[in-house]
Amino acid sequence: MPDGLFTFFAALTLGAALLLVLSRNAVTSAMGMILALVGIAADFFLLDAYFLGVLQVLVYAGAVMVLFLFIIMLLDTDDATGSYPWKTAALGLATFFLLAAGVVWLFHWSGAVSATAAGVTPPELSANPAEFTTAAKSFGRLLYTKYLLPLEIAGFLLLVALVGVVSLSKDATEGQA
Amino acid sequence: MSPDFSSLVHWILFLPLGAALFIALFLRRAGALAAWLSTGVAFAIAALALRLLTATPADTRWHVELAKLGDVSLGFGYLLDANARLMLFVVSFVAAWIHLFSVGYMRDDDARGRFFGGLSIFMFSILGIVVADNLLMTFVFWELVGFSSYMLIAHYFDKDYAAAASKKAFIVNRVGDLGFILGIAFCLAHFGTLDFAALGALKPAAGWPWLLGALLMCGFIGKSAQFPLHVWLTDAMAGPTPVSALIHAATMVAAGVYFMARISFLLTPDVLQLVAVSGAGMAALAGLCALAQTDIKKSLAYSTLAHLGIMGCAIGLGRPELAVLHMAMHAFFKATLFLGAGSVIHGCHHEQDMLKMGGLARRMPVTTAAFVAATLSNCAVPFLAGWYSKDAILEAAHEHNLYLFALLALAAVATCLYSARMVRLVFFGPANSEAADHAHESPWTMTAPLVVLGLGFSVAAGFGATTLIPAAALARVAEPLRAMAFHATSPATLVGLVALILGGFAFRYYGRAAGVDSLRADLPRVYGLLEFRWMDTFYGWLVDSVQRRVAEFIAFLDLLLINGVAVRWLGAGLPAVVGYLTGRTLHRGQTRLYALSLVAGTLLLAWYFLAR
Amino acid sequence: MEHTTLSHHLLLAGLLFALGLTGVLVRRNLLVVYMCLELMLAATTLAMVAFSRFAHKMDGAVFVFFVITVAAAEVAVGLALIVALYRRRGTIQSDALDTLRD
Repeated sequence: MPDGLFTFFAALTLGAALLLVLSRNAVTSAMGMILALVGIAADFFLLDAYFLGVLQVLVYAGAVMVLFLFIIMLLDTDDATGSYPWKTAALGLATFFLLAAGVVWLFHWSGAVSATAAGVTPPELSANPAEFTTAAKSFGRLLYTKYLLPLEIAGFLLLVALVGVVSLSKDATEGQA
Repeated sequence: MSPDFSSLVHWILFLPLGAALFIALFLRRAGALAAWLSTGVAFAIAALALRLLTATPADTRWHVELAKLGDVSLGFGYLLDANARLMLFVVSFVAAWIHLFSVGYMRDDDARGRFFGGLSIFMFSILGIVVADNLLMTFVFWELVGFSSYMLIAHYFDKDYAAAASKKAFIVNRVGDLGFILGIAFCLAHFGTLDFAALGALKPAAGWPWLLGALLMCGFIGKSAQFPLHVWLTDAMAGPTPVSALIHAATMVAAGVYFMARISFLLTPDVLQLVAVSGAGMAALAGLCALAQTDIKKSLAYSTLAHLGIMGCAIGLGRPELAVLHMAMHAFFKATLFLGAGSVIHGCHHEQDMLKMGGLARRMPVTTAAFVAATLSNCAVPFLAGWYSKDAILEAAHEHNLYLFALLALAAVATCLYSARMVRLVFFGPANSEAADHAHESPWTMTAPLVVLGLGFSVAAGFGATTLIPAAALARVAEPLRAMAFHATSPATLVGLVALILGGFAFRYYGRAAGVDSLRADLPRVYGLLEFRWMDTFYGWLVDSVQRRVAEFIAFLDLLLINGVAVRWLGAGLPAVVGYLTGRTLHRGQTRLYALSLVAGTLLLAWYFLAR
Repeated sequence: MEHTTLSHHLLLAGLLFALGLTGVLVRRNLLVVYMCLELMLAATTLAMVAFSRFAHKMDGAVFVFFVITVAAAEVAVGLALIVALYRRRGTIQSDALDTLRD
């Protein structure tokens, strides 16, 4: 069995994800999602990606999920009534087991991943790959030199999303449609 | 290169930015505080620029690389050669006095804070253009200057014509900037670098490609209001007068000339010829049009257009140092003229029509003295500031091409004519309205700049520069300065003399009838021709008739080809058939079913690819 | 206890992805479907970070940064759409929203 911490957080994440998928109440699902995201952030920490872990908690679990909760509360829908029709439940179980089997086979039983983990150097995919560090400072430096263009485009994307959301939220009855 | 001077440049560049940010964040309501902060900063950087001008004979360079895209390095840096130091000083010095003037002029304006923030950000932008060491940085600051200009022209944004004018200025500049950015792309693709020093060191075997110079020149045509993109300058007078003085007389429009001087080494002879001809033509034409304007600021705007034409002609003649010299002298006397106009407008309680002024010499003596001094400099009276540069350009034109000389001579005559008209209508004769009758001299914040710039620099800048500033500091500009001497029989002098005499006649001619434009009364058709806005009408026709038709045609094509053929037939035809066949089963409108099909399809594909 | 290897992390990511996908297919409440979609996205970011760590290069981590940014923007717009839909239709159960049928 792998590392104790990893096992704990993996179990936590999977449990939370199950809660998300299976719970009838939308708010409970949201809570499950938040927990799952925190678990994933913990896994980021275990993978030495400290900056990303904090970012995940702050942005994803913090802002995005809070937004979800707002909307869930705003729309105030009823809980899912009754149990699922057998067809849907069967489909769900079948899909999950199919995928899970595929995942386990791919990542555990087949030789694909262990070769990499054993230290075989993969062929270089980019011309000047960035050296691995854990410091946020070098992360920032990378963003502003090598990945400057994507950064600018991401900023632009956020602007577009902002404008889009504002225009979508306008009441259709005020003024012209 | 001494590190001390690059830090000086940091201060010069970033102090106004700091002031602008501080004003924007904290001082929007505290108008007076914003005004004095902005003015204080302006004077501080003028002092620093003076130190820079008089102290360093060697070029100052500084550079930091910001991004590296493959082989190309993009950065932010300074290249201060002699031209740059001179321009830095002229810009900051004139701007400082204009800031002081604005303190008085804008005293009753509630939106003062915003105005001075705008002035500070403008200072940052124009100084950025002056010190920039590569094309991309120049372009970024070029756009910033355009934005500051947009913001300042629309200061009275509740007036429709002001908002329209600022939009027009920005859009016309944008057209020019399109050429500019294409030129940058071309330069990058062809030579792999955008750095001025690096480009200057290159000596391409086949000579410089003409397209490069032509494209980069588009930016100059837009920013410095050369033909055919000159239509925005007269409308830009809708902004407050200090804005007209600073931006549209002394600095922003001159940025184009400065830029051309910087890249003059890569302009090919045909491009230069084009610039010279259009410049000289514009000079003559604008000078004549100035005779048909009754608004004092519009008349001065045409005068600026004429002088920009002269500067363009100087560049086209292959003498960029003369253009830079004229730009410096022009900044002094044109700023004075605009500030004087501002003083007059302020005194007459915001009356801008010259025909309603008159007799202000008695009531506003200091303004009159400064204005007349600047006018004489404008008319190139010997040994005044304007004479040094304008006559030098006339001489250069005479050696080069007699047609250009003729056009410039016509421009010189027109200058004296409209100047005499302006002085006569505004300052002499009887007062033509209540407002003019009750005019009084402006407060010290407004007259002090007039005295310094008008009675001081417009008069003495020329021979002051030859005697007081060491030649090494002025480098390429120093030579023509020192070479100017009064030759009684040179063609330039003869032209000047004729012009002055004709000016004298004009002075008397415009005094004949009070409150009426004599030319309009006597030769209404000529006046009408000069007054008519040819280019604006042409552009209006172009958009209405040509561009709209093209757009409608393209819309029609879109409807026909893309909507009709591609979407309705091809795009929808086959799926329609398939849909008919599978409609009952697949098109049920249920999202989950669609998601399932999506997943199933993806899994099939994945299995197919993984199994290979 | 052995060290966690790449395959352990990928296993976790894969299982989370599978769970998310199942949720998308099974649930009827649009908001829960959307959350499951986001879970899938988070799972892929986990995979990317794992790869970045084990291949000893930073590019993967930077990509995750952008994925988080895009996800945030996408959630904002998606939720705005759902709210607009709710205003028009009064429901967010995907079974009831089937007017786009033949």
